[in-house]
Amino acid sequence: MNSESDKAEAFVGRLLQNPALNGFSALQQEEQIIQFLHVNAAQLAPTLSSAQFFPGKNWNAVFSLLVSKLTEVIDRSLFADLEQILTERIDYTFIQLLRQQQADKDMIVRQLMTLVRKLLQKSEARRAFTGPYTALHFGLADRYVEEVFSRKSYIHFELTKVQRLRMGKEEVRNFVDVTLLLKPSVFMLGSSAQSQQDRATGMVQNQFAEKVLGSLKKELKLIPEQVLASAVHASVSFNENRFVEATSRLAAIISARSRNYQANIKVDRGADSPDKSWLNTARRNYKFYGFDIKMLDELYKIAAENVW
Amino acid sequence: MSKTRSFLENLVLVAIVLVLVQTFLEDLATVLGWTVATRRALLLAGFFFDLFFTVEFLVRCYDAFRYRRLGFYLWFDRGWIDFLASVPLLLLNSGPSVLAMYVGGVSIIGVGGMLNVLKVVKAIRIARVLRLLRVLKIFRRIKNTDSVMAQRHVAMISAITVSVFVFILLALSIGGTVVPFPSIDQTYQEQAISAADYVAAEGLADTGREADLARFAATQSAILTVEQGGEVRYSRYDQEHLDRYFQAVDYGLLPRGPVDVFVDLTPINRDQAADNLRYFVLIVGLILVLMFVYSPHFALTVTDPIHVMRRGMGEKNYSLEVRVPSEYRDDDIYRLAREYNRVFLPMKDRENASDEAEPAASHLSMGDIKDLFD
Repeated sequence: MNSESDKAEAFVGRLLQNPALNGFSALQQEEQIIQFLHVNAAQLAPTLSSAQFFPGKNWNAVFSLLVSKLTEVIDRSLFADLEQILTERIDYTFIQLLRQQQADKDMIVRQLMTLVRKLLQKSEARRAFTGPYTALHFGLADRYVEEVFSRKSYIHFELTKVQRLRMGKEEVRNFVDVTLLLKPSVFMLGSSAQSQQDRATGMVQNQFAEKVLGSLKKELKLIPEQVLASAVHASVSFNENRFVEATSRLAAIISARSRNYQANIKVDRGADSPDKSWLNTARRNYKFYGFDIKMLDELYKIAAENVW
Repeated sequence: MSKTRSFLENLVLVAIVLVLVQTFLEDLATVLGWTVATRRALLLAGFFFDLFFTVEFLVRCYDAFRYRRLGFYLWFDRGWIDFLASVPLLLLNSGPSVLAMYVGGVSIIGVGGMLNVLKVVKAIRIARVLRLLRVLKIFRRIKNTDSVMAQRHVAMISAITVSVFVFILLALSIGGTVVPFPSIDQTYQEQAISAADYVAAEGLADTGREADLARFAATQSAILTVEQGGEVRYSRYDQEHLDRYFQAVDYGLLPRGPVDVFVDLTPINRDQAADNLRYFVLIVGLILVLMFVYSPHFALTVTDPIHVMRRGMGEKNYSLEVRVPSEYRDDDIYRLAREYNRVFLPMKDRENASDEAEPAASHLSMGDIKDLFD
């Protein structure tokens, strides 16, 4: 192991094997490690710049090398996982139902993967993809959609009567999953249109979203406009646009929730469950994030009942 | 904590558990009338435990003194319990008992003398009550909760409850010797004395009156043996039985001129041992309830919500709400917790979201990669 690249890969590999990162998705692990490198720069720099690791390199150079190697390593597992989710987990029957014609699954998957690969090269989009990807990886939307359909309450009404999705539970679940997958597409045109608050909440202005939708339609010709609109509107505040689709509102909440999700977390005695805690906090910050409060209320009840 | 210290602390913990078993068995042996050999073994074990805890107390005192913490140790670190559960027991209870066991012999007593000796025996028994304080020693060693505050709080309540109980028992026992209350002890003593007087006055120990003596003794359970001129005139049990089940503290001698009447003290001993067992079980029960019922309740209603709030305030990534049980929602702590859930966490969340320069803290720490740099 002589090349710096090999050393960097070995170092990153060891960090990724750390048990403290168990229960996180690949992108969360990437964020954790980058943050770790940032926070501990002062302690890491002397050792990593030594003869044993990367002699003659200053910290910035070492940091860049490690981050690029980390991205490379994460991309391998991330794309393999996404490929598997897109080909094996998501059923595209809902697209047929929306377009009223046959759809070639392979072509759809190829288009989606191409777009996602392109998006993930942008740092903002990559960061914004952490929540949606974590939700897809752990199937977090699925369990809520399941409950929404068994309760047949507000969210179900919004999905079936307001958004008029004439489809079953499985199709809606896949619809939400594709919405999540394409949610970071709002960054395909850059993020300069975002205000400071928008950057904090991950939201974009309505007009900007419509502009993105126009571009997205050109990129993903096989995906129905309703799905693309749902994905783009998942980054539009419900305060600003009361006509945001129910799937968008649901995806926005689940994506935000999933950003800091950790599987198999040990909950302290005396604390509420993670989803219930997060949703209750989100209920109080719904205006800040532009969430639908009624949707949060129902999801909170679901989380409380299921001790999620 | 060094390995030696850790070993010694564990040794003390084992000794505490064992001494509690020994305390229980010693009284149980008296109640069930176990053999002299077994009771002697238990008594010796008790003596060595008292010696061990006395040495432990002195070592802790010396250690605390070296670091100028003697006052803290004695008053705040429950050193006074260590003291009461060791030195007085060695000096007033197990020490004299072991001495009596080895010196042996029977107390030769007159009417008043018997009462005096019984008072001495009683003083020893009174001191035994202090053994119950040993149960409290276990609190220092066993961590029944993760919270230092809960541990200290429950230990304090236990110390107060058990100490008050023990000291009241002690005061009542001492009061009983000063102001004799009518008791089974006293009645038994009076019966034994009047029976001995009757045997001497009626000449039942004279030659040829063995049948009368046997008939009379059959009605007086206190009479164990009657001797005259060194010759046994009556014995309730054969010699083998007496050797096997009776030791010095189990009988008393009432000399009446040429007649020696030996009286059976085991009913009194048994009665007092049964009392001790009841107290012991009561205290252990009290401690167990405090440990396993009150302590979790204290954790649930005080330390757990504090722990969750402390983590939420100290750790950037930690944002779990405090669970507020509906039955306690108006408790001060849960009113605070509700404000924490309602105001602090949403504010922290907004703050974290807006703080682009400082994203969420990493779950990794330098300690996690120590081996990489070795």
